Amino acid sequence: AFGLYFPRKEYLENVYIDEPAGMPLLRIHALRDSHEEVAHFHLCQNLVISRARSHENNWFQIKEKTGLLYLSKSLDREDFNMLSVGNWMPLSKVMLSVFLSSHPFQEKECGSATRITVFLSLINATAPACSSLTARQLCFTEMDLSFHIKENKPPGTFYQLQLPSVHHLCQNLSISYKLLAAEGLPFRYNENTTSVRVTQRLDREERERYELIAKCTVRMGLREMQVEVPFLVNVLDEDDSPPFLPNDTDTADAVVEFNRKEGTVVATLTVYDADTTPIYPLESSRKKYTGTIVTDDPWISETFRVEHIFDEIHFSPNGSQVRGTRHEYKLVLNKSISVTEHRSFQLDVLVNDTEFHGPERSVMLHFNVTILPVSIQFSNMTYQFTVNRNAERFAQIGKICIENCMKFRGVNITYKLLSPNVSCYPVSIVQGREDKYGSLYVNDSSVLRRLECKEIQYTVQATDKQSRKHTKTLLTLVLEGTLLKKEDDCPDSCAISKHRAECEECGGLGVLTGRCQWRQGSGKGITTNYSTCTPSIKTCPDGICDGVEGKDPAVCPQDCTSGNIIGGHGKGIGNLGIKSGHGICYCFPKENCYCEKDDIKEQLCDDMCKTVI
Amino acid sequence: LAGPPSPGGQDPRAWRVPVDCVRANELCAAEPSCSSRYRTLRQCLAGRDRNTMLANKECQAALEVLQESPLYDCRCKRGMKKELQCLQIYWSIHLGLTEGEEFYEASPYEPVTSRLSDIFRLASIFSGMDPATTSRSNHCLDAAKACNLNDNCKRLRSGYISTCSRELSASEPCSRRKCHKALRQFFDRVPGEFTFRLLFCSCRDQACAERRRQTIVPSCSYEDKEKPNCLDLRGTCRTDHLCRSRLADFHTNCQATFQSLTSCPGDNYQACLGSYAGLIGFDMTPNYVDASTTSITISPWCSCKGSGNMEEECEKFLRDFTENPCLRNAIQAFGNGTDVNLAP
Repeated sequence: AFGLYFPRKEYLENVYIDEPAGMPLLRIHALRDSHEEVAHFHLCQNLVISRARSHENNWFQIKEKTGLLYLSKSLDREDFNMLSVGNWMPLSKVMLSVFLSSHPFQEKECGSATRITVFLSLINATAPACSSLTARQLCFTEMDLSFHIKENKPPGTFYQLQLPSVHHLCQNLSISYKLLAAEGLPFRYNENTTSVRVTQRLDREERERYELIAKCTVRMGLREMQVEVPFLVNVLDEDDSPPFLPNDTDTADAVVEFNRKEGTVVATLTVYDADTTPIYPLESSRKKYTGTIVTDDPWISETFRVEHIFDEIHFSPNGSQVRGTRHEYKLVLNKSISVTEHRSFQLDVLVNDTEFHGPERSVMLHFNVTILPVSIQFSNMTYQFTVNRNAERFAQIGKICIENCMKFRGVNITYKLLSPNVSCYPVSIVQGREDKYGSLYVNDSSVLRRLECKEIQYTVQATDKQSRKHTKTLLTLVLEGTLLKKEDDCPDSCAISKHRAECEECGGLGVLTGRCQWRQGSGKGITTNYSTCTPSIKTCPDGICDGVEGKDPAVCPQDCTSGNIIGGHGKGIGNLGIKSGHGICYCFPKENCYCEKDDIKEQLCDDMCKTVI
Repeated sequence: LAGPPSPGGQDPRAWRVPVDCVRANELCAAEPSCSSRYRTLRQCLAGRDRNTMLANKECQAALEVLQESPLYDCRCKRGMKKELQCLQIYWSIHLGLTEGEEFYEASPYEPVTSRLSDIFRLASIFSGMDPATTSRSNHCLDAAKACNLNDNCKRLRSGYISTCSRELSASEPCSRRKCHKALRQFFDRVPGEFTFRLLFCSCRDQACAERRRQTIVPSCSYEDKEKPNCLDLRGTCRTDHLCRSRLADFHTNCQATFQSLTSCPGDNYQACLGSYAGLIGFDMTPNYVDASTTSITISPWCSCKGSGNMEEECEKFLRDFTENPCLRNAIQAFGNGTDVNLAP
């Protein structure tokens, strides 16, 4: 198997002008998948300059067996200028690709699956004298000492601490290294070669990060300098753990009753895996960990689907934290279920960890599904509402609702009045939100004024849209109250009134008793509890432009306006209505609304204020 | 208008003077050999695999010819006319030549030569006070006041604020797309004297820091229901030429380096802050993560959860925002009103 790999993705080194041919630059290592593999290194014969321009590589070569990158030809100033052209950054960098193969490279082709990048910084100067270098520069390059080693692979050497170029140039300096905090860890430092070796197969599920310290000691005559840098090893994961169930729970109950809407999650079961699962790219990870409904019943496979989400969790196998995955399999309604449906069955979902090569790669999840029918019926057999004779058009009298109607989702009920004796017919029904209920409102206020209409009986019918099942009940309207005299020059809409007095002596569209109602706000800044005049405090302004209010802009512009609002305010959802306002908010329907402080009583500037100014 | 002179007749080095890619494209189109090679190269690169491309003789020849054409070194300017077109030309060549999955990509934008000190000079003229001396005031509030006194700044600022805080429905608090567009207009069209003061004002109390955090209306432009993985977010950003360019620009100008005193490339704070501001209004929009006054932590809206074997790379990517000494020094230097003194 071709399982050779690089323990890091990038290498970094400096190259100076006029360094001699044969100058070693850096050592690259490869780790193996199986013992018999031998690594062969090869350089792509193109340099990439400033990451876009390419040039034939005339200067750098790599030893195929050892991975030592060296200068095969000195880089003189002319070469240097040529390679820096078009490079805008103060520091010129060239990029080399190093390829890895388990067999000798036949042709000098530029390609193989495994490659890394070497960045060489071209320094516009000759190599500095050894004595002028700091200990940090003598010991380490700028690149961080961070490596990755795949789990379950044979041991091997993966880094050499000594810098080949420094070793080559500064031979009379004594530079020695040590690997600290390595006791008991599977890494070994070899003093003769300064190389670091992983001594055994690693297991990521046991520990996924090793933090060591590389310590370097430089002796220059009598002077001794020490530098320490972090030396990190990350263990790369492979799929070597089977899925398992938390607390051995593989069964969940799923009851479908009032909520029958498509997309509803009816039950969830969880599967754990000690392996990590990248969420990027998401789709490929989903494909690796599948969940399929096992059934021959076409109804089941049409009605249900399984949704798979997963996230990262932590396990602590032996004190250290390692990442693992929690997979959640949600049983979801694939379509809205009819109210008449009545079944129960067991639904099995097969979860399969497709990349795990072992006998326990799959688990079976069981959902005990119960679909209960819901009845379409009115609970209290008759409705009775009293309506004031002074109620105006669009006054909201009450709600009509079948049993449990507010719990329904995915069940659309249509409410309808079956017309009674033709002469007295003052009300209509409008559908409430999400077709859960019906709102009863005054449609013809002149009927209310007619004395012959006193008690009116209707039949209300509720029909389920999908099953056409329906139910009926009786509705009695009792008209009461004495007729008030209508004030002259009162506006159509309560919302126009700016003051309490004019509000409460007028009526307007939507009023229940012939008079508008005043809401006194808290009066502090811009608030949802602003002062305003409204047909009914219960329904307007409540921040929702409901079906009845939406029928005429004069009923409740505070909830429904889409026009300008002048003054301090906040708009409602979808830019409709006044969610919050400053002081008193009043509206001219189909025109602007105004929110302002009623400041006639307040002095604009008192004596204290005048003194300050 | 007379046709452009043929590049072949000129000194071969003359075109090395930077030319924008739109212009370079025109120059190339005027010359048959260049335009046909450009077409060939684009076809070669459509396959997206750099190595097969380099192996092909015809592609190789096209590449060599084009390396001598103005298209090769062309760059774009931030907020220039036809910026998107310019970047499309830039990436049509560079996308296939770089690894595609390179960690840091070179910026397609021209280098920034101006300095922070230029901004301080202008800013103090606008505000009538030296930012360094007014340590007790709320600098973020001052910045907002200064913006409101300038018609252009005020118009575009109120433009993005109203767009970003317009509630659409209960489930959709705002139109993120429109908000981002308005933010981009603000940061592209308003000079740095105003935008930098708003973004990088220094704070001593939490109210000020909160105002600073709120500058870009983060509830709409920044936060989201879920935090995506940073590498996933980077992938999304790189599918968009503009976002990809701004991210590459950020990496070019804010990448911390040991080779300068300030940790910034070329000790250029202005370039780093400019490319930070250039990311606002894209998928990679960065912001302050909290209203802390003592420590400044910047991050895009992403995390490294779920990185699998790419966790190291993800954390490296995220650290360029959260623990970047160049970016932090640049923000602090701007807040203190100090710039690097450039010895001649």
